[in-house]
Amino acid sequence: MSGMDPGGGGILGRSFHGLFRLAGFALSLLNPVTWLGELARAWVRWFGLGPFSFVLVNAMRNRRRATLTVLSVASSCGLLVTLLTLQRELTVPPESEGASLRIIARNKVSLAQPLPAKQLSAVEKIPGVVAVSPFTFFGGNFRDEQMTSFAQFAVEPARFRELLVEGRVSDGSYEEFIKDRNSCFVGADTMKRYDLKIGDKMRFTGTFYPVDLDLKIAAVFKGTVDDRGVFFHHKLLDELTGDPGTVGTWYIRVASAEVANDVIARINKAFENSSAEVRAETERAFQMGFISMLGNVKVLTLSISAVVVFTLMLVTVSTMSMAIRERFRELAILKALGFQRRELFAFILAESFGLSALGAFLGIGGAWLLWTYADLQKWTGGMILYFEVTPRIVATGSVVAAILGIVAAIGPSVAVARTSVVNGLRTLD
Amino acid sequence: MAAPIVVIRDLSKVYRQGDINVTALNRISLDIGAGEFAVLMGPSGSGKSTLLHIIAGIDRATSGEVRVQGINVANLNESELADWRNQNVGFVFQSFNLIPVLTAHENVELPLLLTALGRRQRREQVEVALALVGLADRGHHRPDQMSGGQQQRVAIARALVTDPALIVADEPTGNLDARSAHDVLGILQSLSRDAGKTVIMVTHDPKAAVFGTRELHLEKGELARDSVPA
Repeated sequence: MSGMDPGGGGILGRSFHGLFRLAGFALSLLNPVTWLGELARAWVRWFGLGPFSFVLVNAMRNRRRATLTVLSVASSCGLLVTLLTLQRELTVPPESEGASLRIIARNKVSLAQPLPAKQLSAVEKIPGVVAVSPFTFFGGNFRDEQMTSFAQFAVEPARFRELLVEGRVSDGSYEEFIKDRNSCFVGADTMKRYDLKIGDKMRFTGTFYPVDLDLKIAAVFKGTVDDRGVFFHHKLLDELTGDPGTVGTWYIRVASAEVANDVIARINKAFENSSAEVRAETERAFQMGFISMLGNVKVLTLSISAVVVFTLMLVTVSTMSMAIRERFRELAILKALGFQRRELFAFILAESFGLSALGAFLGIGGAWLLWTYADLQKWTGGMILYFEVTPRIVATGSVVAAILGIVAAIGPSVAVARTSVVNGLRTLD
Repeated sequence: MAAPIVVIRDLSKVYRQGDINVTALNRISLDIGAGEFAVLMGPSGSGKSTLLHIIAGIDRATSGEVRVQGINVANLNESELADWRNQNVGFVFQSFNLIPVLTAHENVELPLLLTALGRRQRREQVEVALALVGLADRGHHRPDQMSGGQQQRVAIARALVTDPALIVADEPTGNLDARSAHDVLGILQSLSRDAGKTVIMVTHDPKAAVFGTRELHLEKGELARDSVPA
């Protein structure tokens, strides 16, 4: 009567066991390592044994360890990419040639203090100045957003065109923007993000100014360092605010980078001891001033990134060492069969590199997907507005993962190369 | 005796353990003829495995000379030695040493990856080798799906798939039951007798020694007796 189960608990236990097995099977189907393991076996069946299939089958032999290794590399690479993106978003100044040709002049007391509009004629006359436009931050919220991620500036369109050195009109007509006082000039990224087209209306609720804007999109720009901004007529802002005769800042273009310092000095001198003294600086210096308010973000993020990379290296090296240590005897057999050191090194390197590459693909790809398609503004309550994983950051993450894959292979390879066949055969004997 | 395939002269091997020198082999000289099935016997520590390893080119002598098919193995560098082993020596170990993630067919195919043979030629040679050890129908099985005796037969197939002149076996029946051991020894004997392979086998088992054509008894690193098995 050994098959009987008087209590019935055995049936329940078996049911749970079955459910756990089913859940485990379902989870394994989601695991890319499982798929790769099956792919490796199928590859050998279809194409026969070769160096590639041998490496693939070996890499997937302990699927739990391979999965954990891939996940640790993936999470570290994802974190690294996130940190590099954060650093870029917080610290990257404009690096184009145009940035060194542009000067921003603001009130010496504070950025929040306006400047008199009548300063324009004096600024224009300064030798070396090619173009100048008022440049006033509006700071409105688009549609129903609580904090809009792109800035809006009031400018004088005809003058502002001369300041767009590296940008170009990619859609619509700049002439139309100049003609229509209620129109705006919008960055291509913003157009794409909100699925806007020429002629669409953009409504902004003022936060600094107690007025709202209703703008019609007349033209689109592309090719600047930041293709997100919206520019509209200063005259419209003046009209809505009762023409106070002020501007936020002056946006100035100089003839060449060589004369920039001289022009800055002259502008500062021109308004010295006036009721509105100005502080002029290059666009790059102006942005760096903002960044310095955040503290040494670059050092902080780089330090955390270094810790992430170091941890990643320890994990990968440790895993590869364990994986090779387990197979020391097999590698000794391969040596006895006639495989050379360089071939064994290639096997180990390919395995280590392959696991790192898979982890990097998942981690970097996951981070790219997350930061490209997630609504960060909503998630972070407007703290993080825009998070672009650039090709450069993707490349940096990939290179780090590749280097780690190579570094992780060096230790085990040296150990295998140094060990004689006889000593290798004695391992775990 | 047929023309010698292995010629050993004044072979010595000294291991250094801390400050002490341990002599594993002391000035051994012997010849092994082509097609012979030589059995190396002796107590533990007598140097029989060391001698086998040096003949097979996986260990180096301290002094003396080992020539296999006229080649002085000591003169080959690591890379040349690896190529030489691949082409001239087949290995059979006590614990089979098959790659667990590969099937029997793939395990046997491994040494052929180092040759210039195409995929079809490799498959044909593997099938012949597996058929020779009676495992033609088990090629798709992995080691953990086979008995110890079958695994050892796969190891023998792997040893002979490159058609080497010399097969070395280090206690090939040490992990096998009597029946499987008998089968494996029968295959090695057949390789020597029928296929003309030179087989050198290390064993502790006097019953295994009777399969050989010659018994070399080592004691304390010296050749104590050279006889024909009873």
